[in-house]
Amino acid sequence: MAIGSGKNPLDLVFSSLTAIASFSVIFFILGILYVLISESLPAIERFGVIKFLTSTDWDPVKESFGALTNIYGTILTTFLSLLIAIPVAVGIAIFVTEIAPDFLKGPIGIAIELLAAIPSIIYGMWGLFTLSPIMSSHIEPLLKRIFGPIPLVGLLFQGTPMGIDILTASVILSIMIIPFTASISRDSFNLTPSVVKESAYAIGATKWEVIKNIVIPYSKLGVFGGIVLSLGRALGETMAIAFVLGNNHRITTSLFDAAATITVTLANEFAEADKDIYLSALFYLAMVLFIMSFVTLALAKYFLLKAERKYSR
Amino acid sequence: MTREQRRKAEGGLALTLSTLAALMGLFWLVFILGDVLLHGVKSLNWSLFMNDPAPPGVEGGGLRNAFVGQLMITLSATLIGVPIGVLGGTFLAEYARGSRIARIISILSDIMVSVPSIVIGTFIYAILVKPAGHFNGWAGAVALSIIMIPVVLRTTEDMLSLVPWTVREAAFALGAPYYKVITQVVYRGAATGILTGILLSIARVSGETAPLLFTSFNNSFFSYNMNQPVASLTVTIFQYAMGPYDNWHEQAWAAAFVITIFILLLTIAGRLIIKWRYR
Repeated sequence: MAIGSGKNPLDLVFSSLTAIASFSVIFFILGILYVLISESLPAIERFGVIKFLTSTDWDPVKESFGALTNIYGTILTTFLSLLIAIPVAVGIAIFVTEIAPDFLKGPIGIAIELLAAIPSIIYGMWGLFTLSPIMSSHIEPLLKRIFGPIPLVGLLFQGTPMGIDILTASVILSIMIIPFTASISRDSFNLTPSVVKESAYAIGATKWEVIKNIVIPYSKLGVFGGIVLSLGRALGETMAIAFVLGNNHRITTSLFDAAATITVTLANEFAEADKDIYLSALFYLAMVLFIMSFVTLALAKYFLLKAERKYSR
Repeated sequence: MTREQRRKAEGGLALTLSTLAALMGLFWLVFILGDVLLHGVKSLNWSLFMNDPAPPGVEGGGLRNAFVGQLMITLSATLIGVPIGVLGGTFLAEYARGSRIARIISILSDIMVSVPSIVIGTFIYAILVKPAGHFNGWAGAVALSIIMIPVVLRTTEDMLSLVPWTVREAAFALGAPYYKVITQVVYRGAATGILTGILLSIARVSGETAPLLFTSFNNSFFSYNMNQPVASLTVTIFQYAMGPYDNWHEQAWAAAFVITIFILLLTIAGRLIIKWRYR
């Protein structure tokens, strides 16, 4: 494919420069993995792999570290935020593609993109000063009154609602990932051939039946890819939840408890780690997070590529 | 209820719910932006831009050091990240067009765009802060540039691919070597698109906080020295918002206001350019 390259010495220089620049991406990924592994070696030797991943210890004084509380917090907040975000995001995508009149499609699309452009630190700060007081004084007491007395479900709503807890963090996280899921779902919905939709309308289907039986089945692979992508994003989100999660290294059952995620632990403790083994354990956590999110994002990319191939056929 | 009525009712309910979902999205946008605007405008004043921070607990002072620091870090990151990103994208779209390696790098860049930025911070800490022995501004700039490179690289690749192949053939026919075809013909055709990508990537990194927390760290004094810790708006917002003083909170809101407006303007400018150029 390289036309004329090699014939001209300057062209050889330019093409090598561009090649080096593009290989930097591979270099960064391998470099990050290598550096994280080598920095966490002391902690890997001391705590092992299985033991580190399953231990709930996090005690800088006794120098005993385990990742489970952090992994638990990361997965719980991500799961809850997806639970809130997916229905809203798919609803937005349905509204934009099928319901909204043309003059509204543009502005709503822009609004969703702006929501995605707001930096996460702004979400975090807004969460701390505005959302958290609302949660603790209005929404959480209400939830507690409704669900608290129900056995089993009630376990999720125990304790004093402080607003600095898993629920508030998950709500903020869900607002952050709605735009990603919504815009990918919208693009997937838009790819449904109008001939197929029109033939469904022609045999008397209502608008909702067309969406439910034609559009969603046709685009489910793309939507699923978008959801997995949001999952990958949510795993690594730091500043939006660093303000409102409380950095509490315990496994808790109530959504009104403070918790810790890998990202929040890193943000709060990395610059203050005074011992080598403490720092090494934090690098170990960063490596776990890197692998988790890399695998998730690669899966998302796989589904999105597969969806793309299906549509282009 | 007849079957038809039930179908209509079900459809009506579902459509209402999705309209509500869209309203909810708008609601959050208005709520967050409105909150930042209201608080920010109230706390905005000239001393914020003209003065350095007062000692903790003392009224007054400003964030001049953080504004200048943010500018230095973002500018350095742009100067490092944009050339690498544009050249890398050029390789994928021109010299390696259609090859397996170009596809792999392109996919890896898409993944890199979403890799947790705090992990990039820990990586830079290990290679640039630890050997230096102290936090420094260059480390922050490099961390941001690593976030920037995949974004610029992918946009450049996409934009160069939009330039018709016949344009290159016309230049080849005049006897131009490939590098001249790229720099003098293809880049011109794709300039607006690449510029938009650069604008959006600057918008993306100027809001980043996590990769700066333990690279450029923070500095309460005014400094041009990138070899020392450098204050940035985002890290200052984190520190001030978590701090105990009302006056810190006000300054954090004001900083949040400035940075949000800056990023939204860049984003909107980017969208408008795309709309105007690629209608």
